Amino acid sequence: MTNHELELKNITMQFGGVVAVDNLSMYVDSGEIVALIGPNGAGKTTAFNCVTGVYKPTNGQVLYRNSVIVSNHPQGKMAALYAGQDAGIYKETVEPTPDKITKLGLARTFQNIRLFKTQTVFENVLIATHLHRTSNLLTAALHLNYKEERKLRELALEMLRVVGLEDLKNEIATSLPYGKQRRLEIARALATKPKLLLLDEPAAGMNPQESDDLAQFIVSIKQKFNLSVFLIEHHMDLVMDISDRIYVIDFGKLIAHGTPGQIQDNPDVIAAYLGVDEQ
Amino acid sequence: MKTNKIIISILLIICAVGLIIYSSGSQDGLDELLLRMDTQNLADSDAKMQKALGRVQESILENDRNKILRNLDRYTETFSQKLDLGGQNAADLFIYKNGPSANAISILIFAIGIAILLSAFDKNGRLKLPSVYFVLVVALYAGVYIAENTIGSNSMLMTVLKKGVIYALIAVSMNLLNGFTGLFSLGQAGFMLIGAYTYAIFTIPPASRAQVYQYYDGGLIQFAMPAVPAIVLAGIAAAFFAFLIGLPVLRLKSDYLAIATLGFAEIIRAIFQYDGLGPITNGSNLLRRFTTFNTALFPFIVAGVSIMLIALVINSTYGRSFKAIRDDEVAAEAMGINLFRHKQMSFVISSFFAGVGGALLAMYQTTVQASAFKASMTYEILLIVVIGGMGSITGSVMTSFLFVAASEWWLRFLDNDLIIGGFQVPLLRSGFRMVVFSIVIMIMVLFYRRGIMGDKEFTLKKLFAPRVKKGGKEHD
Repeated sequence: MTNHELELKNITMQFGGVVAVDNLSMYVDSGEIVALIGPNGAGKTTAFNCVTGVYKPTNGQVLYRNSVIVSNHPQGKMAALYAGQDAGIYKETVEPTPDKITKLGLARTFQNIRLFKTQTVFENVLIATHLHRTSNLLTAALHLNYKEERKLRELALEMLRVVGLEDLKNEIATSLPYGKQRRLEIARALATKPKLLLLDEPAAGMNPQESDDLAQFIVSIKQKFNLSVFLIEHHMDLVMDISDRIYVIDFGKLIAHGTPGQIQDNPDVIAAYLGVDEQ
Repeated sequence: MKTNKIIISILLIICAVGLIIYSSGSQDGLDELLLRMDTQNLADSDAKMQKALGRVQESILENDRNKILRNLDRYTETFSQKLDLGGQNAADLFIYKNGPSANAISILIFAIGIAILLSAFDKNGRLKLPSVYFVLVVALYAGVYIAENTIGSNSMLMTVLKKGVIYALIAVSMNLLNGFTGLFSLGQAGFMLIGAYTYAIFTIPPASRAQVYQYYDGGLIQFAMPAVPAIVLAGIAAAFFAFLIGLPVLRLKSDYLAIATLGFAEIIRAIFQYDGLGPITNGSNLLRRFTTFNTALFPFIVAGVSIMLIALVINSTYGRSFKAIRDDEVAAEAMGINLFRHKQMSFVISSFFAGVGGALLAMYQTTVQASAFKASMTYEILLIVVIGGMGSITGSVMTSFLFVAASEWWLRFLDNDLIIGGFQVPLLRSGFRMVVFSIVIMIMVLFYRRGIMGDKEFTLKKLFAPRVKKGGKEHD
């Protein structure tokens, strides 16, 4: 048995007749930064949502540290409609809610920033520490958990320090500039103490300077917290700089896999991104 | 400075204790005095007056003018004697009447003394905010107690205060659900009904049951509970129903949740009126003769403790996750918050306190009838929550009092005919109050869409904080 941190086996996601992700198999090893790239609408975020429990894949399995966390096979209407491959290999059905996946140690950020709008920067991060609680409703309400509460607050503050937003902790989250909101999302994800960080287009809408900073930042937190990182990205510079391995998908299908060097020279990838001359 | 404070506080405390002992002592003596006055002296003087009056009547019959005048003089003499009897004790009477107020004031002085004593041992020698709040709360309760004993418990002011504080509790419980967790639920009247009925059913004394359940042979239950455990039981009953209903209903979102909970409230109302349940619920008849409160302090204490508990929940880590669910369900779930369990928690807590509020409302009204808990009652509460501000406890509390005062008291004159100089003011007639009320609400919703407080809380810190100029240092 191979010891991958995260492994996707034959993940297929079909919405009605549209196959958004088609038979995607990939893995992330411990301590790696792995990128999933592809043109718009290639199915990257859908694949991400299958891993984090937002969608239930039509077929396939996701394993985290060799234990199955998501599993499904075509059922009901989908059994007749199914257009993918390998139907019926995975007989067991495991469909966790996103909070259970997060509790396992997989934290994610969102492509379109989803901060808690009415809360301050500090509260945003503090909410993410809720899953470390050991207090129940009664002890929390009567403030008998003040020691734990203090610890959680310290953790939240520590995460803000890591992303450099400590000075802004009392600002309303959505009043921050765009780049800082992205960092806040990462701080929030880190506050759940993940082992695997899933970043959904962390550099979206950033200029080259900002995306360079972000690249260094991702590498630094990866080392600091001993993380594995799985990211989706459009910015080729960022991906080529920091990724150990890259997967490329187009129309839901995996078209290439390899190190940044290999991917840059791959004719299929160039064709997918730039189009092919029709002669 | 420190010793001064300690001395002042000890003096205040001694003063308060002395005042309590004095006023309660003088009250005991006065009780006896008044008793004697009532039974003997007053009876004697009454007899004298009757005699004098008899003589006056006799002399009128005799038609002797001088005799009439003489007897009338005697009569007025006995009359003034009786008045004197009351007048002699005017000072004592004053203390008797104001004894309760004196007690309340001395407790307030006691609280102030303790607050000053605490500040003496503080590092910076400052008055701590919690002790200021403590003194304010004591002052509020003392004020209610004094008002009740001087103005009278049946006055309009006391009615508004009693109903207002009950509505405040129910509004805050609804705000927990609608304002803090973002679940648009309209089942509040249903949970209030469960609470009110549970309370009423379990506190009717067995002796009165035959009369109350006259159509159902005295009903099934033949025991009564003390008031406080019955109130807790009322809350638990409402919470239990909320737990059961929440299982299917909380999987719905926004408007659908509102429709489902509204439907539930209506169904509950119909079930409680069902004749087959008569031995327990008394069918569609009134429930009455259950234990009620005889001082306004009771609802104030129960509602005060309940609101404080809700505030504590909201300020805990669970409250933070409720707010996270309100702001963004997807992100909250991705942060490891189990949506269903937290929604259920919020729903059950909210319903528990709605049940407690229902029990208090039953006590306030002294009778309960299921047909009173209509959807319009939920809308009234929702109105308070929206006007006060979704996500503001203090907003809900303040608006409850304003709402009750306006609907029961201040706008009453609009319902009566008014004639100025022979000219009848048009439009003023029964029901016009509600027209004006709706216009006021429409203006509120149009111009203060986020309510009086928005999602902010009213705090002393903000009230007294110096206005911070831009670039200036923030004051803590």
